[in-house]
Amino acid sequence: MTLLLTTVAVHAESAKAVAAAAPRMDPLHHFQVVNYIKISPFGLDLSISNSVIWMWISVAAVFFFFWYAFRRPELVPGRLQSVAEAGYLFIRGIVDENIGSGGKPYFPMVFTLFFFVLFCNWTGLIPGSFTATSQLIVTATLALGIFFLSIFLGFYKHGLKFLGFFVPSGLPVLLLPLMVPIEIISFLARPVSLSVRLFANMTAGHTVLGVLFFFAATLPWVGSWLPFGFSVVFTAVEIFIGFIQAYIFTILTCVYINDSLHLHH
Amino acid sequence: MESLPASFIGMGLAAAGLAGSGIGLGFMFGKAIEAFARQPGAEAQLSKYVWIGAAFVEAIALYGLVLAFIIMGKG
Amino acid sequence: MISSAYAATAGPAPSSGLPQFDSSVFASQMFWTVVSFLILMYLLRRYVMPAINDILDSRGKKISEDLQHAEKARHEAERLLAGYREQVERARQMTATTLEEARIEASAIRDHALEELTEELAKKRTAALEEIERARVNAMAEVREAAVEIAMLATEKLIAESVGRAKADEMVHAALGHLEQNKANLH
Repeated sequence: MTLLLTTVAVHAESAKAVAAAAPRMDPLHHFQVVNYIKISPFGLDLSISNSVIWMWISVAAVFFFFWYAFRRPELVPGRLQSVAEAGYLFIRGIVDENIGSGGKPYFPMVFTLFFFVLFCNWTGLIPGSFTATSQLIVTATLALGIFFLSIFLGFYKHGLKFLGFFVPSGLPVLLLPLMVPIEIISFLARPVSLSVRLFANMTAGHTVLGVLFFFAATLPWVGSWLPFGFSVVFTAVEIFIGFIQAYIFTILTCVYINDSLHLHH
Repeated sequence: MESLPASFIGMGLAAAGLAGSGIGLGFMFGKAIEAFARQPGAEAQLSKYVWIGAAFVEAIALYGLVLAFIIMGKG
Repeated sequence: MISSAYAATAGPAPSSGLPQFDSSVFASQMFWTVVSFLILMYLLRRYVMPAINDILDSRGKKISEDLQHAEKARHEAERLLAGYREQVERARQMTATTLEEARIEASAIRDHALEELTEELAKKRTAALEEIERARVNAMAEVREAAVEIAMLATEKLIAESVGRAKADEMVHAALGHLEQNKANLH
């Protein structure tokens, strides 16, 4: 870009001045966390940032969506109630399918997780908003919570027999020194892959959107319609990806809980 | 070699990992379409797994992208 | 593109590459993520899930009730059908009975008629036989009279012209032949 601008300007000095004044592409700018209110009791940093505020907005949106859909529940559901019920049954289907017996106590957690992630993904698509799930630490917190929950459940249900999870059955003993570390590493990689998958999807999607928006805003009108049109299409793709990622996050959560509950390894 | 140009090269190399994900996605959707052509009745059941798989494969590409961003920060 | 992005992020802000890797905001976001998640979970469990469970349960109950109603209605219909079948069967039996009775009555009438006819015929026959008998008796009386007359005639002739044995035989034969001839007319 600077190269292009220098060809326009005759003198190097004026070229630098023009380049400094021209809008610069910064597709990562909207991931910047800004602390609005500093709160730090006992030396802990609990500041309210834009990420936290949009997290709250997502939480409020989830709650009001369901609360409004079921403010007067009817036996023959209206439109909104049908959608809410479909969402509820969708999660119940995931839990039943992936955890099966004994999955009922974890249903509220999985339900909350799905809609928390889904609405964080979707509210992030509102222009000017902030995507909480594009923050690595947010997804990592969720993933670590699930990880520790699965470890706790494993030891709580099976005691030390849970360690047998790392020993694949039906293998020759000679292979065990090779396989057990692999199993342990893959187990430890679970929270990493879970959190990075969601965070990277959101980040990449919004980065691409940022690039497209930059071109749509700065190109002359002859060229700007192309990135603009593509950004519209890509927003639709992002809505889909937001759903798919929330779905995957939920399914994997169920799978991990199931692995801890039922040792059929 | 200066660290800044080197980090650019490293970012490019890390992002080259996206190629593998592209191959994977192509394989997966190709096979999925093959499967749908053979068994049109199973499309509803299979497409669920196709999208899950697509998300997994895509995630692999994004690990490369994250690596590129990490290198960008170190440069 | 990368260079401009790099230039922008490497500006005055103390960032290193992606803003997500800036560890200074980790603590607050971690805390608020946990808190938000737990608050959402509490709210959904407290206010939303009971409503959804209630409505789903009541719908399930309604459906099962409807099914029960349908089952009851089916039983009722089956009962009615059985009743109608029974009625039809009864009617058929009644028809059959009536038919049988009619048949028996008809055959009784026929038997009666036949009996009467037979009786009448027998009566007629008896009457005819009596008539015949009477006629025979009359005829026999006539024959006897005729025989007496013949005998008297013959006796007169015998008396008038003394007759030889051969002559007498011939005469008796003639008289008997006469009788034989008339015999056919007797019956």
